[in-house]
Amino acid sequence: MAVRERSSIQGADTQFLDPAVLSRISGLDLLARTVVDGFLQGLHRSPHLGMSLDFAEHRAYMPGDDIRRIDWKLFGRTDRFYVKLFEAETSANFMVALDISRSMSFGTGAVTKLDYARYLAASLSYFSQKQRDRVGLATFDHEIVEYVPPSTRHLQLILHTLTRVEPGRPGTLRDPLMRLGDNLHHRGIILVLSDFYEEPEQVIDSVRHLRARGHDVIVFHLLDPAELKFPYESAASFRDMESDTMIPIVPDELADEYRTLIGQHTEDLARLFTGSRIDYTVLDTSKPLDYALFQYLSSREKMARVR
Amino acid sequence: MGLLAPLFLLGLVGLAVPIIVHLTERQRRNVVDFPSLMFLRKIPFRSTQRRRIHHWALLSIRALALALLVAAFTRPFFANDEVAIGSTLGPREVVVVLDRSYSMGYGDRWERAKNQAREVFAGLDASDRASLVFMGRGAEALLRSTSDRDRLLTALDTASLSADGTLYGPALKLAQTILEESQFPNREAVIISDFQRNGWKGDEGVTFPPGTVVKSVLISDDATPNAAVASVAFRREFFSGQERMTATARVVRRQGEAPADRTIVLEVDGQEVQTKTVRLDPTGSATVTFEPFTLSELYTRGSIRLDPDALPQDDAFHFVLSPGRAMRILVLEGGSPRPDASLYMQRALEISEEASFQVDVRRSTSLSAADLEATDVVVLNDTRFPQGATEDRLRGFVEAGGGLLLVLGERSAWQTGLEELLPGRFGPARDHTRGAARLGYLDYTHPVFELFGGPRGGDFARARFFRSRDLELGPEGRVLARFDDGSVALAERRLGDGHVLVWTSTMDAFWNDLAVQPVFLPFIHQVMRHLGGYRERVPWFTTGQVLDLADPAGMLFVADRERELAPDVAQVALTPGGGSVALPATSGPRFLELEEPGFYEIRPPGTNPERTLAIAVNVDVTESELESMDPAELAAAVASREASGEIGAGGEMLTPEMQARNQERRQSLWRLLMVAALVLLLAETAISNWISRAATLRFKDGRSYVPSNT
Repeated sequence: MAVRERSSIQGADTQFLDPAVLSRISGLDLLARTVVDGFLQGLHRSPHLGMSLDFAEHRAYMPGDDIRRIDWKLFGRTDRFYVKLFEAETSANFMVALDISRSMSFGTGAVTKLDYARYLAASLSYFSQKQRDRVGLATFDHEIVEYVPPSTRHLQLILHTLTRVEPGRPGTLRDPLMRLGDNLHHRGIILVLSDFYEEPEQVIDSVRHLRARGHDVIVFHLLDPAELKFPYESAASFRDMESDTMIPIVPDELADEYRTLIGQHTEDLARLFTGSRIDYTVLDTSKPLDYALFQYLSSREKMARVR
Repeated sequence: MGLLAPLFLLGLVGLAVPIIVHLTERQRRNVVDFPSLMFLRKIPFRSTQRRRIHHWALLSIRALALALLVAAFTRPFFANDEVAIGSTLGPREVVVVLDRSYSMGYGDRWERAKNQAREVFAGLDASDRASLVFMGRGAEALLRSTSDRDRLLTALDTASLSADGTLYGPALKLAQTILEESQFPNREAVIISDFQRNGWKGDEGVTFPPGTVVKSVLISDDATPNAAVASVAFRREFFSGQERMTATARVVRRQGEAPADRTIVLEVDGQEVQTKTVRLDPTGSATVTFEPFTLSELYTRGSIRLDPDALPQDDAFHFVLSPGRAMRILVLEGGSPRPDASLYMQRALEISEEASFQVDVRRSTSLSAADLEATDVVVLNDTRFPQGATEDRLRGFVEAGGGLLLVLGERSAWQTGLEELLPGRFGPARDHTRGAARLGYLDYTHPVFELFGGPRGGDFARARFFRSRDLELGPEGRVLARFDDGSVALAERRLGDGHVLVWTSTMDAFWNDLAVQPVFLPFIHQVMRHLGGYRERVPWFTTGQVLDLADPAGMLFVADRERELAPDVAQVALTPGGGSVALPATSGPRFLELEEPGFYEIRPPGTNPERTLAIAVNVDVTESELESMDPAELAAAVASREASGEIGAGGEMLTPEMQARNQERRQSLWRLLMVAALVLLLAETAISNWISRAATLRFKDGRSYVPSNT
């Protein structure tokens, strides 16, 4: 199904998913609606596609099962008790963990990484709200800055929070994610948006804690094209946006080695996240949001299938 | 070219600023915010790359612009002569004054000077004219206002050093004359010299025509150590009937670093007689006294030589000596003289070092022709004047150059006809009754008393005169000494070539006590030398002097034998360099110009006498002082001071307004420099912008990124 959907989007008009175009939309509410509706329209899917209604499979009745789940029609045909299993029996918690450390304010194109992350958070929150999920938001740098608990009525609060979020402080992953995991008592889906400027082992230790608490974790690794390509030429002093330390750099001498290192970093993250059954996607902020949305849907689909 | 504000050159230190900025501040200025340096820190840091200069063209333009700005602020200007030369359009009148004094023989100065002159001649246009003036103590225009460059160069090639000293006046005066006579609007004087200070007095009165460009070419060396034999003194001694000469040379050394030993040699008649070593301080002098040598021959040639140095001309000193000749004095006392009438005079004349006197005292007044032939001075000591033929012979003797001293005493008597012979008419003896008379007036300008003219020259006032004879001075007479009462003590009359002196008191201790006073001996010597026409022979002359060999007075300085320079005999002078100068028999003057150092020989043509009349000639030792003056000082002294002296590009005289504009034009270079600097700065701006645009980061999709802080 995913293949079919992906092929169908290729012909859709994706201009409303271009970050440069989205940046002209002032309200995140409108932006999220534009993104999601445009995206879904391209998919030709029912607007009420809800996994909580999706039938997954039957299994034999076991003592202790709720008798309300017995498929009586199938019992009439087969004279055996089967229990219907759905992908989600109830509405899920959809929590966005958004990194707002200062490094997220970096951007060389129309939008910064934080802008891109806000678009994504808003769009997916809107999307999840349409799926009748409870949506929540946690922004963090080296601690949790804003926390909006999951609720079916918190979309506007989330969008408002996303609108006024300001990057400013250095960030770490471990403490805020640990605290977030402690705060979420119901399992759900946690979307982590960050640039992950920590060693891969530290990153996986931080995120794995959420996974260990039973959450389905989706990780979007946001990187600016300049971080990926390192296209600088002139010698200059490079200043770390979080620590303010500076070192002189001759880019044409270091670019290849830098690209090798960042590539190695993403590969390590991908390997470690995959090993922990966490969906990991590197997102280039110069690319349209549809890729991220597809990744999200694909992940949700996999989660439902696995469940 | 000069600078009005040279201190602004310190601004060139600012040239380091673009380089320092380029190497160090560049990264500080270009700061790129980056999310995290965790990957960049893992890459080894390469400091050498950071120091590399990437944009050489940009750096060069910035440095050049700054240098031009600094140059503009220093206000460069063209010197007047440079502008004048550069703006010369018409033909030029060029006078090259080439110093050929012997100091130019120091090292390779002469060749360098000639090369400088060649360059000047090579730079002449076809329409230019040039003159070549040699400068020594005199001036010689070898070529005058010619446009024939080949002749000029040939004259230069054949030119040689002279033995002259340096005098700027004559040569510059000659150059001034040539320039003044020129009709060309552009005049130029090129003075090529070592610019010795002692040749310039400052009052030469040379002023070149207005508009003349004066170029000074200094031919000098960093150090000019030089030693010279400055002079030689002689002392005569008579030992065992022989005359012995002791020579003492004074050696001077100018410049140098440490005391140096020099070898000095005495040569007599070409033979090396003695060799000594003299130690010379860096700047000082020393005397060297040689052992006495016997002088027995006429015209004995001698030289004192130092071992040669960079200026060999002043290392040799030549002289010519002849044995001294005794002056023959005949004293006539009459028939019955007092016993000691001539004693004091005779004793005084027998004591002599240089000019010896041979005194013959006779108690008669008779004189034969043979007596007078062998006599230089006749003294009539307190006796009657000879009469008749003796008187005539005596008159002839005096007129021929002999000397007569008439000492008046008790026996002296006036006789008719003496007024034609004596300076005045003497009267009877007169006692000085109011105490002794003393000499109150002496004519120190006269050769007799010249010796006593200086301080401590002798105290004649101590002599007391008790009696004397009055002398009524005649029209031909001249008083040389008077008593304090105004009466004449000593009078002179010139008669023909000789002299007659009348002493109005005695020469013994009878009428006065002069004979026992210290001044008596030199006084009587001077009287006899004057009457005998004694002239000390000159051992040497200096280059540049001119002798008139036909002048008997001048001849006395060089010749011991009258016949050697008889006016009716043709002579030839052989120069030290091997040349000859003809001195034909003539009744007029016979000039011999002494141009070369060494020995001149004078003899009749075709003869080879055993002892030839020789004249020693030395260079002027003042020329060996090589201290230079500032050439600009001389150039400024001879340049015209007229306000309207500047000439324009076409050679025309400039008005004051035009001169002001000309001066502004000479100083207007700063504007060009400023404009050039501004153009360069604009170019730098354009290039740096272009480089910045080129440094814009371009992505694959065509979008660009310019780092916000670069």
